[in-house]
Amino acid sequence: MRKIPQQLIPLAVLFIVLLGVLVVARQLFVPKTFGDLGHYRATAVDEVAAQPAAYAGYRVCLDCHDDIYQRKQLSSHAGLACETCHGAAAAHATGESDQLPTVPRGRDHCQLCHGYNSARPTGFPQILSNMHNPGEACVKCHDSHSPRMAKGNGECSACHQMIANQKAVSSHMSLDCTDCHTVPIDHATQPRVVQALKPNSEETCGKCHARGSSAGAEVARIDMAEHGGRYLCWECHYPHLPEAKL
Amino acid sequence: MNIAMALQSFFTELPSVTGYMYPNEYELHWSVLIVVYPYLTGLVAGAFILASLERVFNVKALQPVYRLSLLTALSFLLIAPLPLLAHLGHPERALEMFLTPHTASAMAMFGFVYAWYLMVVLLLEIWFDYRQHIVRWAKEKKGALKWFYSLLTLGSTDLSEKALAFDNKAGKIITIIGIPSAFLLHGYVGFIFGSVKANPWWSSVLMPIVFLFSAIVSGIALMLLVYMVSSMLRWKTINMPCVNKLAEFLFYAILVDFSLELLDFIQRLYESEESIHILSQMISSRLFISLIISQIILGTIVPLVGLGLARFGRMPDEMRRMIYLMAALLVQVGIFATRWNVVIGGQLFSKSLRGLTTYKLEMFGIEGLMTAIILMVMPFIILFVMTKLLPPWSEGEKDIPVPPKPHATQVGQEA
Repeated sequence: MRKIPQQLIPLAVLFIVLLGVLVVARQLFVPKTFGDLGHYRATAVDEVAAQPAAYAGYRVCLDCHDDIYQRKQLSSHAGLACETCHGAAAAHATGESDQLPTVPRGRDHCQLCHGYNSARPTGFPQILSNMHNPGEACVKCHDSHSPRMAKGNGECSACHQMIANQKAVSSHMSLDCTDCHTVPIDHATQPRVVQALKPNSEETCGKCHARGSSAGAEVARIDMAEHGGRYLCWECHYPHLPEAKL
Repeated sequence: MNIAMALQSFFTELPSVTGYMYPNEYELHWSVLIVVYPYLTGLVAGAFILASLERVFNVKALQPVYRLSLLTALSFLLIAPLPLLAHLGHPERALEMFLTPHTASAMAMFGFVYAWYLMVVLLLEIWFDYRQHIVRWAKEKKGALKWFYSLLTLGSTDLSEKALAFDNKAGKIITIIGIPSAFLLHGYVGFIFGSVKANPWWSSVLMPIVFLFSAIVSGIALMLLVYMVSSMLRWKTINMPCVNKLAEFLFYAILVDFSLELLDFIQRLYESEESIHILSQMISSRLFISLIISQIILGTIVPLVGLGLARFGRMPDEMRRMIYLMAALLVQVGIFATRWNVVIGGQLFSKSLRGLTTYKLEMFGIEGLMTAIILMVMPFIILFVMTKLLPPWSEGEKDIPVPPKPHATQVGQEA
């Protein structure tokens, strides 16, 4: 019988030891039910199933908040479940907790979907947070259960898209074009012949910005008699984006 | 709000995306670390295949780099999985692929390919090749080194002629096994990319072959570099027949590799699937520097011309060595660019074929440039230590002749 070369013996021992370590490690570390159902630990399924449910599902919300649900279903948010915005509400639904579901009133939550991202489909409503009414809560202008653009200027933006884009991210976004411009009805069909009129006095701006106007408290007020002298407002301020410094 | 600030924030928030990207393609998931990984495994496979030329195919001119190639392959192999582990973020889970092997997952099976290559091919071959020296060093050295070498002998101290003949035979058999293993190791990396059917930049049956040949190119170029630099650092003369042979193999390997890549390119153009427009757009914009400049011009054509002139033209050895060194460096740049173009390029265009995104390489952080550099430097540190413990240098190397010192008075006169 041929003698086994000496160097093969320690090598064989080494490989057998390594294999042994692998077998022992498998015995010690591989869970008993691993592979019963697939390439995972079968008992993990029971463990996951035994976890308490944090989310109730939208059908539970329907029992008490049917009116809101119906309104939402007619809007572009129809596909969103209640708990997408209001958080897990199982404890609220079962009465286990007195704590009401959260209501996102800040600006961050809506931006998860509506913050500008070039990867989003064209036409999907998106904003740049620091340019779109900075500091204002989304719900101040938008109803999240029936969301739409705060005010539509669809007819004008068909031709004046650039101005509409600027105005849409300005503090004047809630104004209609016709609040400042006089637009004859034929302007839409013969825009070059029948032109829309620009305001020719300071009174147009003064409707909101004069002292004593009925506009909201956040609107800047000035003394119309003193401010600007002989200049008209739009000679210094750009009305479609008043935030811009000219 | 200041309009300048608003515009600035608008542009910083707006990423460099042109056209349309799906939301999950907007940022790249496979970073520079996934570029480093095939680059390192390619060097391993290439260095080993080079070693096999001497051992199996009896190319005697390559004898001075044979052992150095094996040690280089081992040094790079030890680091090769680290980029993957750093990228995945749970290194401890890597071992689970051995405990619960998933035969349907190519990535999980790679663990076994890696283990086979490390344990059965490289370590065994190095052990058989060095055994007689290890036994001798275990007897000659003192202190901790004596213990180290004694441990490495694994108790096998037989240095009889028969035992040495067996070592030699075993080494040869392992090298023969090692060649398909090296092909498998790096072919696998190409296979992983080539089998992603949804990605037209990757999905190609030529991918494993192209990867393999580029691995051979990078491995030979690396050995040319390591051998020349290590000889210079040790103040030893460079064995010209050896570097000439390396340069010759490198020249042929680049030629084959370039032809294969060109073939792949021409076939894609001819096939002209719906993806061709976005891919052309990507090549001419996002990948222009890394593909056209770095990979094709600097990494392929310039070294090819340089090597051709230096190897087959007439010029002094000094000049020849200089060109070899430059060509080998450029090849490394080219092969790294190849890996970059495959990994990063495959993620830059949208699967909608309608848009391109941009990869922003971060400086620090686990997926950053610094990590990549550290991972690419580490094999050289390991190699340095290994060459100290297991010197791969052939006997009879000559010192570089030192020019005689000028006479003191002459120095004074010159000054």
